[in-house]
Amino acid sequence: MLYSKDQLEVRLLAEKREIAEGRLRDCNPLDTSWSFEELCEACRRGDVRACRELITNGANINAVDRFDNSPLVLASLCGHYEVVQFLLESGAICRRDTFQGERCLYNALNNRIRNLLLRYDYSKTTHPLQPFASHLVSLLSRSQPETSDIVVNTATQSFHLHKFLLSARSPYFRQILSKPPGIDSWELPYTILPQAFETATRFLYLGDIPAEFLTQEESIITNIDDLGHLLEIQGLLETVMESEDRRLAQQRRGDEMEKGRLQLEEWFRRTVLNHKIVLETSNVAGVRWCRDNPVFADVLLRADEDPDLYEPNKRTEGARDIVGENTAKPLNGHLVGPVLEPHPPPHPQQPRKSTLYPVHRAMLIRSDFFMTMFNSSFREAQRSEHLQIVSIDCSPSVLEAVLAFLYTEKAEFSLELAIDVLFAADLLLIEKLKVRAAAIISTLGNDPTTTRRPLGERPPSKESKKSGAIDIYDIIRTGWLTRVHRLEEFGAKYLADRLEDYIDDEEFAELIQESAERIKQRQETDSIELLDDIRYYLSERFRLRFEEPGLEQMIAGNGNEAPPESNHDTSQRPAAGERECEGDGFDPASPEPRAGDQVPPGDQGHGSTARTVDGEVAGGECATDGRTYQMLLGRIEALLDRLELDA
Amino acid sequence: MLTGRGKGRIRPPRRVSDKASALVDIDKPNTTLHDVTMSPRRRRWCGWGVGDMCASSMHSPRSVGLTNPTENVDFDTIWKELQMSFIEIHTKDVSKISFEEQYRNAYKLVLKKMGDRLYECVKTFEEAWLKDEVKTKIQSLLLGGNLISAATVGIRGMSMNEKRVAGEKYMKEMKAAWEDHRLCMGMITDVLMYLDRVYCTENKKPSIFTATMCQFRDHVLRSHVAPDGPEPTTIENILISVILEQIQMEREGDIIDKTLIRSCIYMFEGLYETEYEDENEKIYLTSFELEFLNASRQFYQSEGESLLRNSDAGTYLRHTESRLREEQDRCRSTISPLTATKIKEVVEEELIKQNIRDVIEMEGSGLNFMLDNDRLEDLRLAYNLVSRIDPKKAELQKALQKRVVQMGAEINKAAKTAVTAVAQPNEKENGKEVAAPAAKAAPPPNAAALQSIAAIRWVDDVLRLKDKYDNIWAKAFQQDHGLQTALNRSFQEFINEFQRSSEYISLFIDENLKRGLKDKTENEVDAVLEKAIVLLRYIQDKDMFERYYKKHLSRRLLMGKSVGGDVEKQMISRMKLELGNHFTQKLEGMFKDIALSGELTTAYKGHVRQLDDGSRERIELSMSVLTNTFWPVESWDSTAKATCIFPPDIERIKAGFENFYLGKHTGRRLTWQPNMGTADIRATFPKVQGKDAALARERRHEINVSTYAMVVLLLFNNLPAGASYTFEELQTKTNIPPNDLIRNLQSLAVAPKTRLLIKEPMSKDIKPTDRFYFNENFSSKFLKLKVGVVANGNKVESEKERKQTEKRNDEMRGGIIEAAVVRIMKERKELPHQQLYSEVISQLRFTPDINMIKKRIESLIEREYLERVEDKSRPAYRYLA
Repeated sequence: MLYSKDQLEVRLLAEKREIAEGRLRDCNPLDTSWSFEELCEACRRGDVRACRELITNGANINAVDRFDNSPLVLASLCGHYEVVQFLLESGAICRRDTFQGERCLYNALNNRIRNLLLRYDYSKTTHPLQPFASHLVSLLSRSQPETSDIVVNTATQSFHLHKFLLSARSPYFRQILSKPPGIDSWELPYTILPQAFETATRFLYLGDIPAEFLTQEESIITNIDDLGHLLEIQGLLETVMESEDRRLAQQRRGDEMEKGRLQLEEWFRRTVLNHKIVLETSNVAGVRWCRDNPVFADVLLRADEDPDLYEPNKRTEGARDIVGENTAKPLNGHLVGPVLEPHPPPHPQQPRKSTLYPVHRAMLIRSDFFMTMFNSSFREAQRSEHLQIVSIDCSPSVLEAVLAFLYTEKAEFSLELAIDVLFAADLLLIEKLKVRAAAIISTLGNDPTTTRRPLGERPPSKESKKSGAIDIYDIIRTGWLTRVHRLEEFGAKYLADRLEDYIDDEEFAELIQESAERIKQRQETDSIELLDDIRYYLSERFRLRFEEPGLEQMIAGNGNEAPPESNHDTSQRPAAGERECEGDGFDPASPEPRAGDQVPPGDQGHGSTARTVDGEVAGGECATDGRTYQMLLGRIEALLDRLELDA
Repeated sequence: MLTGRGKGRIRPPRRVSDKASALVDIDKPNTTLHDVTMSPRRRRWCGWGVGDMCASSMHSPRSVGLTNPTENVDFDTIWKELQMSFIEIHTKDVSKISFEEQYRNAYKLVLKKMGDRLYECVKTFEEAWLKDEVKTKIQSLLLGGNLISAATVGIRGMSMNEKRVAGEKYMKEMKAAWEDHRLCMGMITDVLMYLDRVYCTENKKPSIFTATMCQFRDHVLRSHVAPDGPEPTTIENILISVILEQIQMEREGDIIDKTLIRSCIYMFEGLYETEYEDENEKIYLTSFELEFLNASRQFYQSEGESLLRNSDAGTYLRHTESRLREEQDRCRSTISPLTATKIKEVVEEELIKQNIRDVIEMEGSGLNFMLDNDRLEDLRLAYNLVSRIDPKKAELQKALQKRVVQMGAEINKAAKTAVTAVAQPNEKENGKEVAAPAAKAAPPPNAAALQSIAAIRWVDDVLRLKDKYDNIWAKAFQQDHGLQTALNRSFQEFINEFQRSSEYISLFIDENLKRGLKDKTENEVDAVLEKAIVLLRYIQDKDMFERYYKKHLSRRLLMGKSVGGDVEKQMISRMKLELGNHFTQKLEGMFKDIALSGELTTAYKGHVRQLDDGSRERIELSMSVLTNTFWPVESWDSTAKATCIFPPDIERIKAGFENFYLGKHTGRRLTWQPNMGTADIRATFPKVQGKDAALARERRHEINVSTYAMVVLLLFNNLPAGASYTFEELQTKTNIPPNDLIRNLQSLAVAPKTRLLIKEPMSKDIKPTDRFYFNENFSSKFLKLKVGVVANGNKVESEKERKQTEKRNDEMRGGIIEAAVVRIMKERKELPHQQLYSEVISQLRFTPDINMIKKRIESLIEREYLERVEDKSRPAYRYLA
């Protein structure tokens, strides 16, 4: 397992060759993008927060820079334990049997980091699709709730499987299942050995093939080969035979998971989304779906349109029974949901619309909500002649996004939907989707269209803020309500970057008040969390600007003025959130910004206020920034005083 | 300066009031909630995401479930809906309830920060349900029967069967109530999942499930059955006593419904004393188990007593074991495995620890009986049980040791009586003829042999005992290490108590090496030797044994009686393994001497042949040159060193060899030990006329005699026929020590088969005035004769000899002790009295007499090796260089 240096070099060469031949993918590709360079820089600095942001935004964690340094190598070389840990947890690879991995270990600054790296060797790194795959494979052994809808028989053994998955993954089954909709069992050719089919099943369900299935026995291998041809699936035999090179095996497995995901996605779009039914809400009760349906769905999810155009008094009306239409051909199993007829609505307004999605319990139970639902003995879990309709309280597009995530592990939706999806995920108890939605929201922080307006502009009116893509108040509150701390952090940064625009906003004050009340409920600390965060980001925002000019002034030897300035800089730089430092540095100056409170701030960058403090005109943008900073802090103080808050 | 901090310090009072109002919020959710909605500042906040937001933004989030402002905060409506569904759940009417709807109801309330109200309402609802429905039902059952009084007072009025039926009915009811509650709470928890996950986690409250389990505990299990009754009994108490009664029935041999009890136990296991669900605070542990253990303790206490009275030890042990097994089974099948170790301890305490001594000592069936009759099965049981309670097995060990020592003492006694039985006549004779120096020379011919037999038998007995206990140890005691040590110690004790053990063991080895082993296979030899070594291990005074072994070995070697060098050497190497190099050094030296002597003899023969002029008939000499320190020279009569006068022929050979030997090795001194030698002589007896045919011709005999006898016989060569020597004359002429002379003359003149001399007057005893003639009439059927010398072989020492041996041993020990003292003091210079003693003892290979050490130290002080240190509080010694 452990290689000497020359052996490692041999392996490096072999690896390069295999990559060149295309057999192996390079897991450490060269990356010269800006975000990757930022990531490398953050790793050198030991800035976990920056690393997290960059990685969330998609920087490739396993890439290398021009000098062949990966972020992990840099972090361990510079001795940032927390960063190393974070990188490893986020999927950075450190493999003992590769040149890169061994180099990383060799470079580690101290033993603590070295041991950490060793602990995360190879086996710990998981493919991002692993949870998805393990859910699928767990379906094979899960008895509660009942999800399987087809029994596949070999000569001696029966397998309880899922039509939708077979149909999505195997053309053979797709063909079989598309013909007569009513089958609930299928006989395989008697030549197929149960062992071979079990292997194939695991393969179809994206499970890893456990060691005991890897075999050299010829009869089974040929059988598996035959089976692969029969089911028209590729790569089965190779997966079974492969046992030598674990990296290749892992790569193959990763590919297979990706492929499976795509197949399932394609299937999901083609069938589930294609067969969704849009109808008037009042007609929903009449929808009857048989169990035998081309989607193989075993439950219908209902979502109602946004109520913008909906009038409450409509609800009780117009419960027209459409059973007659639906039950016209209930037994031949074809889709019997009402085709949306454009018959004239009885009222001039459009009746409220609902959408029904034919879906599968097997996939829904990835959510704890559905898991509990189908495991209970409530109405939804009972087997009825027609499919149960479960209504989910969100708009169809949100539900679609949720379903897409459950079926395909993909969270791609617009920012507009993000908050709603977040709420839906919270309702349905899908933690991962919450994280993804929050990630989508917080990527906005880097959106150039929402960057800080230039100084001196009047704080925008509420409308103009809304015209920006997001309402930051909404986001922060959503973060609180759904317990996604990250959103609060993001909001704080967002606010800090544009504090001039928000500081006078009435809603901003309310927000601070709310934040303070959240704390009082818990009674744990005395500070206001949101404000602390804002202060921190504020200092971050101005810090970079301060650094260089301050230095210049020192060099220039402007004795009269430089010391207090630089004092501010240094004192607030390490921990701007700490009151003590600030108090020290800014107390003398504090009356000034408070005075400036009345005057609209930042009105004139070079205004008289600056002169009164320093007794001298401080030139350049830097001084303006310094004053803005102080002014903002002062106004926060003023706000707190007004709210009679203590922080 | 420091404004931030200052503010923080000044303001606390206000913050306290804030806290207070926060508390009020929780206490009176209804009123504050209205306040909240009224307050303009918060109204917007509460309505956020609902009305205002929707209107103000195109893409404003449609917060789930809150699309309709009218259904927004109406807690009561939503709660009513939820409550209805809970009732349906409790009445097993769930199939119509929509999970999604109820879940969403709860979700709405939690999202609206009404989690605490909901939480409290659920609790109130469940409490009411438990009190009104569940408890009442159980109570009515109880009031109908007389279980309460049965459980509390234990009236005997009910028959066993009635009791059982009533108990089972009650348990069934409890089980149903419990399982119902669990099932319903499971479903309610499902519905309230969002409340659990969000509200309870954030506010660190116990989950709904836990909270309602606590309620079941408080309002059902721990509720009083008949509050107005004389004794406040809870449902729990009755249940426990019913279960205990059932278990009692099972212990007495009845069959009970185990699964029913098990399900009641599940209830106890599923409930906790506190809402934190600490595993150690299961109600099972805090109440049921305590009661159960107490009841069991009482039961086993009385059972132990009655068993002791009524049955024998074997039965007791078997019963105890089956009880232990039974309790373990019970823990698995009826109550909880958690109790397994505890109940085991109770049974062990009551049935084993309390009574095991009585059982072991039980007359006629206790440990002694089992040991004597090889009751391996019972012994194994006893061992297993004892080892449960005591890793050292002290009781068993004590009894075992006592028995072994007892048995050993019997063997010793038997051996002693055998010896005294032989010795008694011996002494008598000695007493009679105390005047005669030859008195000892005539013991009853087989007395010594008898003693030897006694010695062998002693060893055999000891070995048999050892075998027996080894067997028991291996088969019944699982080769327990501690017991092995104990056994060894007891063997050691009684073997060392017997003063002659060293001698007997050496004699036993002698016996086996001399004759016994000749026709044995190698394995048998091994076994015998191994046994001997085992015994040797027990002997404390190893030096004593060495002394005897040397003596016996020297005889074997010199008399050529040993069975074979290989076996001897094997023995030596075993001893070496067992006792160390030091011990066998001298013994090995003895073997070396013998081997060297053989070579020497050959060399000397060659030397003589060279010199030989052929003029004279040669007298062959074979000698053993023995290193003085290796051989037990002193045990051979030391007087023998007084020079014996050899006939000139012999003297010449002797001188010749001395020249030869000293020429080879300078600086050595040879001392002849004629008493250890033998001689082969060819004697010619003349024709005796007129006698019978056998004497009518000249007879030649080759006679093997001792060296002394040869010297005596040769004297007669120069004597004219018919002449005689008196005893005194023989003594002066030969200078042989009188004892040896007497013995040799006895064998030459008294023993009937080898009467080469005629004594006058003819009697058994030899007197100084007796006259001796050459017996011309001697005849024998054999060409070769062997004249044995009385008391030539290795025999048991007489009491006197033993005393002597001991004395010699003590002298030697004295030397060793002195040496040890000097060694120690030389190193330490100054040492307190006690420490010196302990160091000396630790260095010695035998257990010395304290007095002896004292004496030796005194003597060393006298000789100015040591001096007493005067000015010390404790007595101490100083080494004088």
